[in-house]
Amino acid sequence: MRYISVFPIVVILSILFGSAFTGLVIAPGVASDVVRSPSVGLVAYSPTEANGRKIYAREGCVYCHSQQVRNVKADENLVAAFGAAKAGDYFYDLPHFLGTSRQGPDLSNEGRVWRRDIGAPARDYLIGHFINPRQYNPNSIMPAFDYLSTQELSDLTDYIQSLGAWKDAVKSVASSPTLTTGS
Amino acid sequence: MTSIQDRNDLVVIANAAKPSPEILPIDRPDGAAQVWLYSGIFWMSVTMLIGVVEAVKLFYPEFLQGVPALAYGRLRPVHINIGLFGFMSMGYLGATFYMVPRLTQTPLFSERLGSLTAWFWNFNLLAGCLGIMMGFSKGKEYTEIPFPFDMTIGILVIAIAGNLFSTITLRQERRVYVSLWYILLAIIPFPIYYTLGNASKFSGIEDAIINWFYSHNLFGIWLTTLGLATLYYIVPKQVNKPLYSHTISFVGFWTLAAFYPWNGGHHVIWGPVPMWVMTASVTASIAMFIPTCATMINFGGTAWGTWEIMKRDIGYRFSLMAYACYVGASLWGTVLAVMSLNAKLHFTNMTIAHVHLGFLGFGVPGLIAFTYFYLERSLKLKYSQNLATWHFWLTMVGIIGYVVSMGISGWMEGTAWEAGGSPQGTMLDKYPYHVARAISGLIVMAGQFLFVANVYQTVNYPIDLSTATDPLEKSGVTS
Repeated sequence: MRYISVFPIVVILSILFGSAFTGLVIAPGVASDVVRSPSVGLVAYSPTEANGRKIYAREGCVYCHSQQVRNVKADENLVAAFGAAKAGDYFYDLPHFLGTSRQGPDLSNEGRVWRRDIGAPARDYLIGHFINPRQYNPNSIMPAFDYLSTQELSDLTDYIQSLGAWKDAVKSVASSPTLTTGS
Repeated sequence: MTSIQDRNDLVVIANAAKPSPEILPIDRPDGAAQVWLYSGIFWMSVTMLIGVVEAVKLFYPEFLQGVPALAYGRLRPVHINIGLFGFMSMGYLGATFYMVPRLTQTPLFSERLGSLTAWFWNFNLLAGCLGIMMGFSKGKEYTEIPFPFDMTIGILVIAIAGNLFSTITLRQERRVYVSLWYILLAIIPFPIYYTLGNASKFSGIEDAIINWFYSHNLFGIWLTTLGLATLYYIVPKQVNKPLYSHTISFVGFWTLAAFYPWNGGHHVIWGPVPMWVMTASVTASIAMFIPTCATMINFGGTAWGTWEIMKRDIGYRFSLMAYACYVGASLWGTVLAVMSLNAKLHFTNMTIAHVHLGFLGFGVPGLIAFTYFYLERSLKLKYSQNLATWHFWLTMVGIIGYVVSMGISGWMEGTAWEAGGSPQGTMLDKYPYHVARAISGLIVMAGQFLFVANVYQTVNYPIDLSTATDPLEKSGVTS
């Protein structure tokens, strides 16, 4: 190992990095339909929901709230209530908010907890909770987003209520009598 | 081996000794290394301060409430980005700019370019972080710095890589020491994955996979490689004997280069990604056992029997701390990628403990070791042994306190969730650990304060017996 020149090192490093690049960057996009197609029934974000999503990104909600339910024992209750996450569920998410930490609860199905059809009580709870989380849960360590404008709070609420809401719609269509009579 | 280590300083110092009237201050040898290194130390203090503020907010959320720019969700990306691009990148690039001319026996291609990129990097990072605090975050982890400041970092790295690569190409010393291999691995692929991670507009799961491919490369083949290059350079010099085995460092390097870039997918184990992404990344993460062991044996063998040096050289103690934490954090990472353990511990504070063992345990002491080494061996200045000893113990206690408190809290969370609990349910149980974490952070900060004071004092008021005067007289207080 006395005289190693730089050129072969650079070439081998490029090959090694290139193989990982191919495997983790090019292959998922090219070789997998699962990754590049939306789930059945997935609904694109409305303008206010998209704006709420921007606020979610801006305020860094993703650092404490995950948006993925895994098929593991730790998520057993979530799987039982909402089902595990699928790749296609995230089709319209740019940037993704899968998250890495759960200082707070998982939010991927929050729109099925505080459903739109509950109406004002759900919205009032969410907005009140954004403004002062400790009013509802004294142990909460969530920051108080009392500096958001009324419009921003409303958009953020729209976004939160959209999370997973489409799954309920899919379920009710699938189990409605018009579709199931034939079977 | 011996010749590289022994002849290291000859040419550079010979060049430095030649007084040349047309040399501008910006072109002096090691000028670039100094700007990078001192900036790294500055950002290290800043990121620690922000870290402590956040730690307090995690058990006392009303702390500094009401200022949007200081909200937890905005400070956390600032903490991370300053940690990555300020403290780690800049500090270790300082070490790199110091090492490359010595390992190649060639003056740096351009000291001026090196210093200018450092200053530009500083202001760019400051602007980027203010951007995040003002609400312009891009919203994806490790890519938060808004346009155009994110792209500027990529362009600056190309300028830096060009500078270093030109120096390596023009080298006088034909042999390539292991530190240079690591530096080559750090500077060559960076622009590719950095641009990919920051500028790509994929959506959904593809976005997540690419996000983690980018960010794990940022830790693995940018920061870790620069850190290991620094340790491989300073440890043999600190113990004054050659590296234990070049064959082992060869194995360690190439296995690291082969496996690390595949690690990204282990951030989405059990997530909604194709099974083969998970399988490939779990395999690569477990294979990381090989380079970690190689490093462990190599540094362990080099450090064996150096008890006397450890007692007197504080810088060397920090090297050993960085080495121990590197091995610990890497093995821990391998363990956390085991699917059954990941199922329990992903999303818990265990991740935070692991990351901090890497950054706070490996990154911080490694840079400190280099700084003490630089002051003592290169500038030939004597830093305060007393302050340094305090600094060492405070850092040690702080790191252990941090990692242990977060580790226990993470394990508790995982256990509670598997028993059917929710994150809200564990909130009260986590409280004492969150307080312990903040106190540990404060202890590290106290050590950092002593360190900065020590470096400042050593560099600005060097102990030179021939011109020693009354300090009061010098400052004009007595007149």
